[in-house]
Amino acid sequence: MFRLLSKKLRRWQILSSKDQTQTKPDRSPVYLSKNLEGNLQILREVLGQSSDVIIREMKISSDSNVDAAVIYIDGMVDRNLLNRDILQPLMFNLQLIKDHIRQNHSSLIDFIKSSVLTVGQITGTEDIDRVISDVLKGHTAILVEGVNQTLLIDAKGWETRGIEQTTNEVSIRGPKDSFTETLRTNTTLLRRKIRDPRLTFQSLQIGERSKTDVAVVYIKGITPDSLIEEINQRLKRIDADAVLDSSYIEQFIEDNPISLFPTIGYTERPDVTAAKILEGRAAILVDGSPMALTMPFLFIEGFQNPEDYYAHPFFASLIRWVRLLGFILSIYLPGVFVSLKAFHPELFPTPLLVSVAGAREGLPFPVVLEALLMLMLFEVLREAGLRMPRSLGQAVSIVGALVIGQAAVSAGLVGAPMVIVIAATAIASFLVVPFADIGALLRLLMTIVAGFLGLFGMIIVQLEILSYLAGLRSLGVPYLSPVAPLNIRGLKDTFLRAPLWAMDSRPASLNSPDMRRQSPDQMPQVPKTESNQGGNQ
Amino acid sequence: MKREPCFRIYLAIILVIILVCLSGCWDSEELNKISIVSGLGWDLDPDTGEVTLTYQSIIPSEIKSTSGMDGGGEQKGGSALRAIQLDQDTGASPYDVLNRFTQHGSRIPFYQHTQVYVFGKDGAQKGIYGFLDTQARNPVSRPNALIVVSEKKASDILGIQDGMENIQAFGMAAEIKLSAQFSKYPAVTRLDFQQRILSKTTAPIAPIVGIAEEISSQGEKVKRLRVMGTAVFKEDRMIGQLNERESSGLLWTINKIKKGFVIIPEASLEIVRAKGEIVPELQGDQIIITIEIDEESNLVEYTGHQDLTSDILQELEKGQAKEIESQVMAAVEKSFALDADVFGFGEAVHRKYKKEWKDLQSRWDEIYPNIEVVVKAKTHLNEIGDVRKALLKD
Repeated sequence: MFRLLSKKLRRWQILSSKDQTQTKPDRSPVYLSKNLEGNLQILREVLGQSSDVIIREMKISSDSNVDAAVIYIDGMVDRNLLNRDILQPLMFNLQLIKDHIRQNHSSLIDFIKSSVLTVGQITGTEDIDRVISDVLKGHTAILVEGVNQTLLIDAKGWETRGIEQTTNEVSIRGPKDSFTETLRTNTTLLRRKIRDPRLTFQSLQIGERSKTDVAVVYIKGITPDSLIEEINQRLKRIDADAVLDSSYIEQFIEDNPISLFPTIGYTERPDVTAAKILEGRAAILVDGSPMALTMPFLFIEGFQNPEDYYAHPFFASLIRWVRLLGFILSIYLPGVFVSLKAFHPELFPTPLLVSVAGAREGLPFPVVLEALLMLMLFEVLREAGLRMPRSLGQAVSIVGALVIGQAAVSAGLVGAPMVIVIAATAIASFLVVPFADIGALLRLLMTIVAGFLGLFGMIIVQLEILSYLAGLRSLGVPYLSPVAPLNIRGLKDTFLRAPLWAMDSRPASLNSPDMRRQSPDQMPQVPKTESNQGGNQ
Repeated sequence: MKREPCFRIYLAIILVIILVCLSGCWDSEELNKISIVSGLGWDLDPDTGEVTLTYQSIIPSEIKSTSGMDGGGEQKGGSALRAIQLDQDTGASPYDVLNRFTQHGSRIPFYQHTQVYVFGKDGAQKGIYGFLDTQARNPVSRPNALIVVSEKKASDILGIQDGMENIQAFGMAAEIKLSAQFSKYPAVTRLDFQQRILSKTTAPIAPIVGIAEEISSQGEKVKRLRVMGTAVFKEDRMIGQLNERESSGLLWTINKIKKGFVIIPEASLEIVRAKGEIVPELQGDQIIITIEIDEESNLVEYTGHQDLTSDILQELEKGQAKEIESQVMAAVEKSFALDADVFGFGEAVHRKYKKEWKDLQSRWDEIYPNIEVVVKAKTHLNEIGDVRKALLKD
């Protein structure tokens, strides 16, 4: 029977894959001609009749026969800059240009570039596709009659959100700035944290239609070259319509096509990104997304928090254990409770069993159903609270608290112990944010399995998950490292957080070519001077 | 393009779904489908040989109401039962009764949390093997449940509301454990009992619980449970019992003294640490057993009117040792009279004289009463409290 099923599945997969074999149309580049009118014609055709495309034609010489055109997209260029440094010089230097044309017409474009325009970044090109893409990026193009070249001026300027406080990854002591939607702002934030000349932003464009700028960030000599190569290969393979957020990239370059656990991390914090890059990871910044992707992402990173490194090591270690415990609770607690109640009541301590049995009296549904009901109710409330317009949010929380907390119990739908279990689970599930989504899925799975098979089933599923995790890789790095495969030196930043002076090498599992992070003997010591004999003031 | 992992996951999902659905929940025991048996009573009619089992089950809804906001409101006076229900059935063997019971109960009895097995004295004198086998064979029975012999019928004992516990059997178990903790009577789990039966020479023991009448605060007569002795078994038959003093002697010997007091004339001493050891010696055909007891205690009560000089302290120590020795000797004499090796002398000899044991074991019943027993108690007074000089002098 299984063979039949597997055959069917395989055929279905092959069939579905056949539809996707269209290839990218291959076009040879089109070049500009010397005819301004012709060039404009082509551009008009391509850019269409969009109202935001501005083609400003003008005469730039007192000889009326030298025409020129400036092309830009309204709203994407800095108008002040455009007027003051592009249009004004072009149109006020009529005599100068006329004089130049008399001497040498062909180098007119170079002359404008070198002597007329007072802006920073100017490039010349003959490729009409390049012109179009750059104009769409926010550049301003200048075309001149009789010249088969165009000048592309970077005078981008549009409304952006400023750098604001972190909203998702809050820390008490650390820096409070977060990434914004603008790629350049984000790269600046990173550059300001790491002033190493070897910090590299390697840019490329992804998206057939969106043409989104994507930057791979790494430090040469710390991030292994093989990792960069692998990332580039995966990025180049992407042939998507649009990349609207960094999560689009994430889904295209993950190791495991339908991974349950995230194998690529994300963060909105520049300090976290910088720290990960300095550990030998690479980051990807995507224009339009305030989240940086970091990779490889290991399981243990889910339990690390920027605050860990700013707080005292002992406290950070304690909190890390709390997070581990919370994660375990959030996945297993309802399942364990259900299986104890439905299959193994002997495992309850006797007084607890008596009170649980008391609460169970007269309830209409089996325990599994009760647990699933409450879990779903919680997910519904969570989702509603998240998506509701902010002004309505309070209504949800009031109703939720009443429904989940009091009414369900007094109405005799669910037992009070179940409410406590689900509430504890719900709160625990928010401790480890990267795994909150998968945690919700696993929790449901565990509860269902517990309802059918008890602890026995939960153990089977757990083994399955563990073997799955052990086989998972993030850009070639085993997902469970440094725990499995075990690396004793790498454990400094897993279950305990060692003091910063003790973490003198980069994580070994990341294979950084430069393992040395700092000099190893930096433990703070009491200075051995005579004046310090008392030990304290 | 690799398609294998994808495909495998589909297959795994299908397999898991099939696995889960096919197995169903056949083993499920919802809490509102079971009745938790807190105590089990066993009585044997000596004439007919019929077994009567008494089930003490917890009524969960009662627990709920008493732990809730209106809890304790309906104080049922005196000996009325709280939160438990008694059911009884009679049959040829324990399982015959169990089998019958399912016919008139609404819920399946759940034995995993049973705390005490109470045996009626009359039945226990005939032998409790049948019941013991049922419990030992069945994995749902707790090995750490307590074995109790009841002075009257087991069903009487299980029906008496006692102490502060809502669930009577739990209260009884707590009472026995407390008496064992203060070294009055032994607390014997099913496992202990089985081990003693298995050792061939050692006699099993169990505390005896009886009913005592007390006057309640309202002036009514109420029945209360009371631990009153230690039952001594020969194999599975109860053959006699030890009184309070003899029970203490037994506990000293088998090293089960934890807390408690030694009362001597003019003084009471609180036991801090105690150790009992059985040292056997084989001299020709004669077995000499030395019971060595090491004890440390604090003085908690002194009714004499003298200052506590070191002489007097020494005297107290000596008096204490004498008291312990006499307790132990009382137990020894009683056990000789019953010809039951409650101390496990046989096992001690076995451990030391492995070769000779084969011969001795077969004749143990004859040998036992002729063993020479020497008791050596060493006592040490640790602290005497904050009063060194007597408050009142003669």
